[in-house]
Amino acid sequence: MSNPGRESFWSRFRRPDSTLIAFSLIGSTLVIFSFLALATITLTQLADLTFLVRVATDSRVINSIALTFGAGLAVVFILLLFGTPLAYVLARTHSRINSLVEALIDIPLVLPHTVAGIMVYLLFMQRGLLGAPLKDIGIVFEDALPGIVMAMLFVSMPFYVNTVREGFQKVPLHIENVARTLGATRFKAFVLVVIPLSARHILNGSVLAWGRAISEFAAVIMIAYYPMIVSTLIYYRFTTGGLKESSAIAFLMIIASFSVFLVIRIATRYLGSYDDRV
Amino acid sequence: MMIEFDRVGLALGEFSLKDISFTVRGGEYFFIIGPSGAGKTIILEAIAGLHVPDTGRILLSGKDVSTIPPEQRGVGLVYQDYSLFPHMTVEKNIAFGLRMHHLPSSEIQRRVEELLSRFGIFHLRSRETLNLSGGEMQRVALARALAIDPQILLLDEPLSALDPGMKEYFIQVLKEIHRDNGLTIIQVSHNRHEILSLGTRMALIMDGRLEQEGSVRQVYASPATREVAEFIGYENVIDGVVVSSGDGECLIDASGLKLRASCTVPAGQGVTFCIGADEVVLHSPQASLSGKDNTVQGMVNAITQSGYLTRVVIDAGATLSAVIVREMADEMALRVGSPVLLTIRKNAIRMIGK
Repeated sequence: MSNPGRESFWSRFRRPDSTLIAFSLIGSTLVIFSFLALATITLTQLADLTFLVRVATDSRVINSIALTFGAGLAVVFILLLFGTPLAYVLARTHSRINSLVEALIDIPLVLPHTVAGIMVYLLFMQRGLLGAPLKDIGIVFEDALPGIVMAMLFVSMPFYVNTVREGFQKVPLHIENVARTLGATRFKAFVLVVIPLSARHILNGSVLAWGRAISEFAAVIMIAYYPMIVSTLIYYRFTTGGLKESSAIAFLMIIASFSVFLVIRIATRYLGSYDDRV
Repeated sequence: MMIEFDRVGLALGEFSLKDISFTVRGGEYFFIIGPSGAGKTIILEAIAGLHVPDTGRILLSGKDVSTIPPEQRGVGLVYQDYSLFPHMTVEKNIAFGLRMHHLPSSEIQRRVEELLSRFGIFHLRSRETLNLSGGEMQRVALARALAIDPQILLLDEPLSALDPGMKEYFIQVLKEIHRDNGLTIIQVSHNRHEILSLGTRMALIMDGRLEQEGSVRQVYASPATREVAEFIGYENVIDGVVVSSGDGECLIDASGLKLRASCTVPAGQGVTFCIGADEVVLHSPQASLSGKDNTVQGMVNAITQSGYLTRVVIDAGATLSAVIVREMADEMALRVGSPVLLTIRKNAIRMIGK
């Protein structure tokens, strides 16, 4: 059966809809903006392929991209572990404290990221509230991977928690209630019913959080300039080697990120496609 | 299994159940009725263990179950929206409860197949539930609830989303389930036909309070309050004064409408009574009606059509509503303003709160 909300792009023009056409033209400004930015950097880089290949095979660049992606994955793993239960509690309870918790989680959204970086630094520096005791057991955050992960985690958690909370809220409480009357404990109902029905939101939250984490710069350099994540490396090369060197790394980062996102989207295209219909 | 609500109070946001007490005896088919937002679903969910009372107790077979979680109560629950698991096939939906109770897979298979056959949905066993019709979803929801062999089945307006033919079919199905499984069934409903076809006893809830509890016959014969009478479908709820009384009969005057009714209220006292619209019988003004209980002259105020039925509003001192079949209304050539004779049986006049 055809879905009127999902008719093909061209079929709209066979039956002109002035509002849709006007909106398409207005909206295309943003698409053109993004396309031009991509096209410019692509053409610039393709003009000197030898240089691009040299940068792409530079071990410092490869290590930096791997470090950035790896730290992003660690952030997603932490969010899956800690953010998922928090999102469920926020979705299923209506306590007055919820608004306060939601506001706390959202803080990084409304702060300049340098401020977020300072907050993370103060907390995790070697004399910090958490940094000091953790240093005693051998975990150091300043200029170290844990610092990068914490800074990335701080700025990306609202993207994960909010998306997953919305997913949990979309699962009708009645379905969970029925699972419980049929003998499932609350945890089993969560695992067997709520998680599968929110799978797409969990994936979207993870992708958004990962994307936000790997794109972070300001918050990360406050606590860990070294080891250099890609953003730091691009900035470093820009200030020391100039635009050509930094834009080559930027282009590689665009290709790597775009490939990862594309693979995830294709691989999970049908995941949890019943979400909208529950 | 007997269910007792003992002064149960339960607050959920702005809404609260207030000091509710009623008893559902084992094997009864009990109806909970009331307007939207009255708290009917919350009562069902409290029986299922999904809400814990703030005050009072809920007893199942005499045992306080306030601390027993839903998964240990053995209570089947079917919501109006069926709440099937959309990520599971029909078969897996029905097997869910059995898997939660750790039954051997051969036993799960046997019981699921038995239920699939019983509800005539064997051919749907591998289908996704989102593609089923309303009637098919209802069968899956009932089969899933019955799979765990519950002693109590809670039904939250289960027939309201079905077409009339399917509704009639499911009334028969529910009758069979009640008879064959020996279950205690509590059903929330707005539908008079369902209550009269299935119910043994009923309770009426309004704004979180219990307004009346009793056998279906008793509640319909003597509604406790004007609100109850109006809610259960009495179109004529009228205030009057007893003019004379004696021998179990009284004469009531309601704004000039004089009616004889079976009652023991002393003369001079105010009463509220109700009459079903189908109990107000219309006749042409020329009809000879000697010997009828209450024969009253009136004038047609309004006529509205509703399917095969015609609703006629008559000014007979007090305003009365009557329902007749459309054909009869056509035969009588009823028009607004035309005079009409009407009769009302003495026993059709039911005193409220007496």
